[in-house]
Amino acid sequence: MKFVRITSAAAPHQLKVHYRTRLPVRLALLVTTIGAALIIAGCDGSGPIEEPNEMVLHHVLSAKIKGLDPGNMRDVYSVIVASQMFEPLYQYHFLKRPYELVPLLAEDMPQISDDLLTYTIKIKKGVYFQDDRCFGSRPAGSVPDSKGRELKAEDFVFSLKRIANIKYLSQNWSIFDNKIAGLDEFREYTKTCKSEMDVDYSRQVQGLTAPDDYKLVIKLKKPWPQLCMALSDTATAPVAKEAVDYYGRDIISHPVGTGPFRLNVWRRGSYIELVRNPAFRGELYPSEGELGDAEAGYLDDAGKPIPFADRVVWTVIEERQPAWLLFLQGKVDATVIPKDNFDEVMGGAGELTPAMKQRNIHLKTFKDPSTYWLGFNMAEPVFNKNKPLRSAISCAIDREKFIELFFNNRHLIAHGLIPPVMPSYNPEIKEKGYAKYDPEKAQELLKEAEKIHGGKLPTLKITLPGTNTWYRQYGQLLKRNLSDVGLEVETEYIDRPTYLEKVNTKSVQMFTSGSSASTPDAQDFLAMFYSRYHAPGPNKFNYSNSEFDELYEKAQAMLDGPEKRRLYRKMELIVLEDCPAAFLNHRVAYVLHHDWYKNYKPHAFAYGLSKYRRIDMAKRAEYKELLKTIK
Amino acid sequence: MSTYIIRRLLYTIPIVFGVLLLTFVLFTLVGGDISVEIAGKGATQETIDEIREEYGLNKPLFLSWDSQFVNHFKNALTFNFGRARDREPVIDKIKRGLGPSLALTVPMFFGVVIISVSLALVVAFVRGTVWDIVAVVICVAGMSIPYLSFILFGQYFLAYKWGLFPVFFSPDLTTAQYVALPVLIGIAAGLGRNLRFFRTVMLDEMRNDYVRTAFAKGLTTRRVLFKHVLKNAMIPIITRVVLAIPFLFLGSLLLERFFGIPGLGYLMVEAIGSRDYFVISAMTYISAILFVVFNLITDICYSLVDPRISLE
Repeated sequence: MKFVRITSAAAPHQLKVHYRTRLPVRLALLVTTIGAALIIAGCDGSGPIEEPNEMVLHHVLSAKIKGLDPGNMRDVYSVIVASQMFEPLYQYHFLKRPYELVPLLAEDMPQISDDLLTYTIKIKKGVYFQDDRCFGSRPAGSVPDSKGRELKAEDFVFSLKRIANIKYLSQNWSIFDNKIAGLDEFREYTKTCKSEMDVDYSRQVQGLTAPDDYKLVIKLKKPWPQLCMALSDTATAPVAKEAVDYYGRDIISHPVGTGPFRLNVWRRGSYIELVRNPAFRGELYPSEGELGDAEAGYLDDAGKPIPFADRVVWTVIEERQPAWLLFLQGKVDATVIPKDNFDEVMGGAGELTPAMKQRNIHLKTFKDPSTYWLGFNMAEPVFNKNKPLRSAISCAIDREKFIELFFNNRHLIAHGLIPPVMPSYNPEIKEKGYAKYDPEKAQELLKEAEKIHGGKLPTLKITLPGTNTWYRQYGQLLKRNLSDVGLEVETEYIDRPTYLEKVNTKSVQMFTSGSSASTPDAQDFLAMFYSRYHAPGPNKFNYSNSEFDELYEKAQAMLDGPEKRRLYRKMELIVLEDCPAAFLNHRVAYVLHHDWYKNYKPHAFAYGLSKYRRIDMAKRAEYKELLKTIK
Repeated sequence: MSTYIIRRLLYTIPIVFGVLLLTFVLFTLVGGDISVEIAGKGATQETIDEIREEYGLNKPLFLSWDSQFVNHFKNALTFNFGRARDREPVIDKIKRGLGPSLALTVPMFFGVVIISVSLALVVAFVRGTVWDIVAVVICVAGMSIPYLSFILFGQYFLAYKWGLFPVFFSPDLTTAQYVALPVLIGIAAGLGRNLRFFRTVMLDEMRNDYVRTAFAKGLTTRRVLFKHVLKNAMIPIITRVVLAIPFLFLGSLLLERFFGIPGLGYLMVEAIGSRDYFVISAMTYISAILFVVFNLITDICYSLVDPRISLE
């Protein structure tokens, strides 16, 4: 920069300014450059670069994953990643619908004793844990890792005992609580241990034995027909004891599994990369599916060895805009439709807009096994004996408007508690219950409710588990719907832990919540209304009905079939009639993917699906050319 | 001066104690118990109790040598921050986030300071002219536009539409590549506020008699501006600049989140969202110490740039 010499006595602001490079500025620039360079050089910025013929799946995670230890994780994002590395005994068939369990690490489906109490499961031979230093005496960081050892039945025994270890604080214990003979006693024993690592896993558990290396025997306390579904949960995937002992508490970031992929890079909070597991035993792409799968191209790869991809990459992107822009740039294979971009994507009649079609983008929709509701705390005197009040509230909620405003009309109205995707869903449920928006009926019911209450109804309170704009808008809508029929309502927005504490201590009147099924069996939904599970158990409504309880106990011991489904539907009708909750909506997922992303058939219950995905490399290359013309 | 420094360092004890007390009270008494959330859906009471024991939440809050607050205090003093809710050591999280955060905030900080101080000198020098008015209007506009708008605009046009920068972090990019756009956006967004402040500071100095005297004596503009005006304006500049340094450690939440930079701003906000008291406590404690230290450095700098100030 240059400043001219002042040649007159004029005030400085009247002078013309020119520029010339000067020492202080140059020095400052130098210092800045060096400083910035030092900082930048201090960070590891280089990473793997995609080879031209390498097949890489590019995914987005909308939240950080918490850990990769299957025994103690429940958040869906951790499960998505871990499921590519860890395998349970069973898995859901990728293509068949209704959903069907098939063996994965098990040789076959289990042999079940006549009394439904003993399950004998044969384990596949020739399955190896991935190579890892925990299996040998090589020093840390040595390449290659020590050879992984063969999977044995004892690994399942260890992994299930580990979940029972109370010092391990597993979030998955509720799956096995009071189910397997001797396992609860083992849990009692672990209470006496000082720490997680002090537990003696050689201690016998009557209901968990491995008579030989390839046979696992599970004995139950009472019939539990959902056991095989539980054994398809990634939580039950075998973990090598050597890995647990070697990595200790750091095992959350050192997954050692038997699956088709293994962890290569994990930059916590931003990036995860898996590569093919060379020790993977091999598996074939399914040759059968449901009607229409062949036409949809889902059987093009039938019988071929999987996995197809060399690498699987997840980038953690919590904001919608960058995820959407990366998808449009072709750097992400599939994405959900951001709410703000919905009109850009969807034209009329549920079709994609021409702009999306021009990019050869495809739309997949599927019904998610979830239900959301406004719950009533039946322990509250105002609700307990006042069914007309509960029914009136349910009738007063305009669900269509709610779904239009908050979900771009994408969700379905929940007329009952069982989501449509479940085999026990009742197609006639629309005619039952109180889910139809009918403000006049609500007003009539409220008059009845006031009589039961003995006068004017008090101001009611809705508690919502969030303080952000979304929850405030949600609360506002509910409040307006209820005030329209003459109810005085106030809303309470609190953080999630406080919400959970209040719900668990029965300190709320009305609360918003929801649940998503992890198996096709609707038992999890129905358990929320079983009277022995009052809060802090799953029954947050504190609802009781002896007829329901009787049916629930009966159904619990039944194998899946028409009779069980009939009982489930009967139970659902009892709940709808008693109205302990106003059921609001079922989620419907809208997913976009590029045409190069093959074998992308949505699945409601399985997560370890990256092994089936394939990239059409030529089409991906074409898209790069197409982008030039679009821009 | 050494007496002053020692005295100021001793002042840090009640300050740090206050910070620790405040964070503890906020997250235990006001925030409530996190054990139910850690236990997960369908957890039994015994699991919740075990979690309370594991995290020491079943201990008395204050009135015991083994109380939660005493342990919190002891851990902070020994920099033993324990493990976060996801069981990763807190110190590992902080170490990992520090590099990306500084890679973003340090160039941004230098960029904003150097550009705004230099422009402030120029603008102050041409005050009253159309250039001054244009600069002030741009500054006010820059201050009025929300930070998020800069990010959304920059990411959409500069990265996506025009392809000048990557849209988001990717491991095949160098750090310089993926922080370039966020740094640019950060500088653009911070320039208005800083330029307007430094312009005011410079104008105050330019109106002083010694400036007219210097020009009357025939000193060059360069010498007047940089030798005299800038030096005399250093006190408010130092106050603003040095006290901003501890905040570099905290990173930039929005930029980190929108560009996938795994820094400390992101970590802190996520910890607040998930009520990871262990991370929040560590970050608050470190920030408090940095703030006290840089406050002291500011005072020392005063005496270095202005001989009239002596530290006693």
